Amino acid sequence: MKKSIQNLAMCLICSVSMWACTKSSTTTVMPVTAVRVNDIPADTVVRLSPQGAPITNGKYTFYSIEKNAIVPNTDSATTKWDIAFMSTRIITNSGTSGIGQGGAFVYVGLFDALTTIPADSVFRTDNAPASFAIPMGSGKGWYNYDGLTNLVTPLAGRVLVIRTASGKYAKIEIISYYKGGVTLPVTASDMDKLTKQRYYTFRVAYQPNGTKKF
Amino acid sequence: MQGDSVVVTANRSERKLSNVTVPVSIINAKQIQEMGAIRLTDVLKEQPGLTLTSGFGAGVQLQGLNPDYTIILINGEPLVGRTAGVLDLNRIALGNIKKIEIVKGPSSSLYGSEAMAGVINIITDAVNAIPLQASLRYGTYQTIDAGVNHSIVNKSIFYQGYYNYYSTDGFSIRPNSTSRTTTPITRFTINQQLKYNVSDNTNIAISFRATDEKVKNEISVVNGGATITSFGYEHNTDQNFNVSLNHRFSNKLKTSFRGYRTEYNGRQDLLTVSGLPYYDLLNHLFQRVENQTDWNINKQTNLIFGGGTVLEGVKSNRYDSEQVRKTNSTGYGFAQLEMNPSKKLIVVGGIRFDKNETFASAFSPKISASYKLNDYNKLKFSIGQGFKAPDFRQIYLDFTNAAAGGYSVFGSAQAQKVIAQLMTAGQVGTLYDTYYQLNDLKPEYSNGMHLTWDYEPNNKTFVSFQLFRNDINNLIQVQQVAAYVTGAQVFSYLNVGRAFTQGVEIESKYKLTQNIMFSGGYQFLLTGDKDQIEQIKAGKVYTKDANGYSRLLTMNDYVGLPNNSKHRVQFKCNYNSQSGLFANIRFIYRSRWAVNNTNGNEVFDNGDEFAKGYLSVNSAIGKEYKNGFSIQLGSDNMGNYIDAVNLPNLPGRTYYAIIKYQLINKNK
Repeated sequence: MKKSIQNLAMCLICSVSMWACTKSSTTTVMPVTAVRVNDIPADTVVRLSPQGAPITNGKYTFYSIEKNAIVPNTDSATTKWDIAFMSTRIITNSGTSGIGQGGAFVYVGLFDALTTIPADSVFRTDNAPASFAIPMGSGKGWYNYDGLTNLVTPLAGRVLVIRTASGKYAKIEIISYYKGGVTLPVTASDMDKLTKQRYYTFRVAYQPNGTKKF
Repeated sequence: MQGDSVVVTANRSERKLSNVTVPVSIINAKQIQEMGAIRLTDVLKEQPGLTLTSGFGAGVQLQGLNPDYTIILINGEPLVGRTAGVLDLNRIALGNIKKIEIVKGPSSSLYGSEAMAGVINIITDAVNAIPLQASLRYGTYQTIDAGVNHSIVNKSIFYQGYYNYYSTDGFSIRPNSTSRTTTPITRFTINQQLKYNVSDNTNIAISFRATDEKVKNEISVVNGGATITSFGYEHNTDQNFNVSLNHRFSNKLKTSFRGYRTEYNGRQDLLTVSGLPYYDLLNHLFQRVENQTDWNINKQTNLIFGGGTVLEGVKSNRYDSEQVRKTNSTGYGFAQLEMNPSKKLIVVGGIRFDKNETFASAFSPKISASYKLNDYNKLKFSIGQGFKAPDFRQIYLDFTNAAAGGYSVFGSAQAQKVIAQLMTAGQVGTLYDTYYQLNDLKPEYSNGMHLTWDYEPNNKTFVSFQLFRNDINNLIQVQQVAAYVTGAQVFSYLNVGRAFTQGVEIESKYKLTQNIMFSGGYQFLLTGDKDQIEQIKAGKVYTKDANGYSRLLTMNDYVGLPNNSKHRVQFKCNYNSQSGLFANIRFIYRSRWAVNNTNGNEVFDNGDEFAKGYLSVNSAIGKEYKNGFSIQLGSDNMGNYIDAVNLPNLPGRTYYAIIKYQLINKNK
């Protein structure tokens, strides 16, 4: 009895907090909450060459959606990671990139509006170098690169629908590619544009129960 | 109040302003002098409905349409040498100009390609020229402008010669930057005009004009994070030569044959710090012969008709071969009928047909009318179609940027050929749907409508209200058509865009006393990309909120085309005394305009980056003495407004002084 009261209380807290978060109708209670992940480095610039060219280590940052944590590079050949970042590239633990059951596709629409992954969705897998689950290149996957301003801007209305290494589902919206979670202004210095880039801020909702509902 | 000046641009023939049926502004030499203006840009930036643009030189936007769509004429002959569609108006010195006429609305029915938004015609007539005039202007940033203008006029000869030297040290308004926002420039302009009256009814006119411009350049390019700075010289020359034979058969019938040749050569020879050369060349040659006949059929009817042929060509290192000139020839014919069935009504109808060798033909009709309701009120209406032929670069460009990721841009004629070759070589990875849409480019065209109400209640007041709308179709836009195996993009040009501009313009003048005059102008402008608007209305366009989360974009967020300000205001107060003293103060305000798409969609909306609205205040004071000397002091941008990123051509506050001598013509 005591436990069920606890459960009921938890449920209430959940639904109230959800309502507060989303300000949407209270009739459905979303079973997962989105978390905001700030400033995941993605092969950031370590120094500049004497000619001013950026120098990086050329390594991916591996990330576990389930644990909401960065995974050491030594675990790259495991299923401990779900996605990995290196500059504008995002790979999934699938195909040529990893041994997991991962995959992904880019959904055009709003993050909150994607409550169920459509049944006819096709999850793509990585097939380097020809294709990736999340297409690479400006305007194709999640970002736009402006050659005049040298800025990378996340495309609006794009949700990265992810199948994790263990075959569960998550959705991600990229918020920024720059340290601090806000795209730099066009007027930012060239130095800032070089050194503050390659930091991902995103929000992610993870469904641990294996269903395609968020 | 308006006076009855003569206009030549509106009808391609001299007409009184009161008989013109389309919107026209005239800026005369006196106004230009009182502003202390030395380049065409100085004058145009203070005109209602016009906005200066920067990037590839200073261009002018007319009623929301980009610089590509306004034809620039000197004495009726077009200037060429546009970079990315922009003709740098700083090329044009003003010292010998009699007046500038600006016609708003599509005028392709008379002038053909480029006259889609309107026409700016610079008139340097030798008739009534001053025998000798010399002026020297010195201002901030070591800006020197020296000009000499002299003329010989007798019964049968009109000769005018003009020489101008301009130089500036340029300026840097970007703090902590070694590169100057405006680089040091020297320019020479020479103009020779001769008109000889063979008989009372026949004359021959010859004119030659040349400009030579040297720009000391410094370019910084960020490539893969490395900043490469290049120094060197940019050398631009421009020559125009024309000959005309004019004959009057009778009071009712006259004809003129005109031959025109102009060549623009722009060359950049730079060297990067790392020793690599940077080189760019654009050479544009334009030759034309033309005949025009004016026939005054009867008191109520005038007919103008003519035709001609143009041969033009462009050489550029950005085409497949720099040695081979890409050419196009055009044949055209036009006719315009003017009728005034009653004293109150004038109707003008015109058509022109342009047949092109390298792209589709264009047919440009226009009809306009003016109706005088009474002594104080006049209505004018015009509707017409204008066009702009595809640029040479849009047809022939063959450019691969090896530095920036290896992307390529091919003109429409090159694209299919080159991509086929690349495919054979196994270099092409993907063909896009747009590749299959590649075709011969069609001209861009626009339908423009202007409704004007002129109100002149007394000889002190004049107000003109104007409504305008332009619908532009077949806009040529750069689209990705393929991708290399490496993933680098391949672009070409397609006729895909549709847009509109519309708005209200008000111009007014009020004479307070014999000596004091106020004038003001206001423009309200709305623009939009029609395809984008459809997408927004269909709920397919997203934007980011302050948290970086996506939401649907609504029409309330949409701001239309970039670089367009919703509001523009001009106000001028002018004092002029009989003793030769004059003074003026001019206020020019422009509201914010979108400059960069920063929030992750392809449309311009409230969440994007804007340049701030600004006010610039210019003022001048001077005195003309009876002995022909005059002095003038002035200051521009007195509020010291600076926006280094969005207004690189606007230095902070500047001062200047002008001293001028005119030999007064005793015959007058």
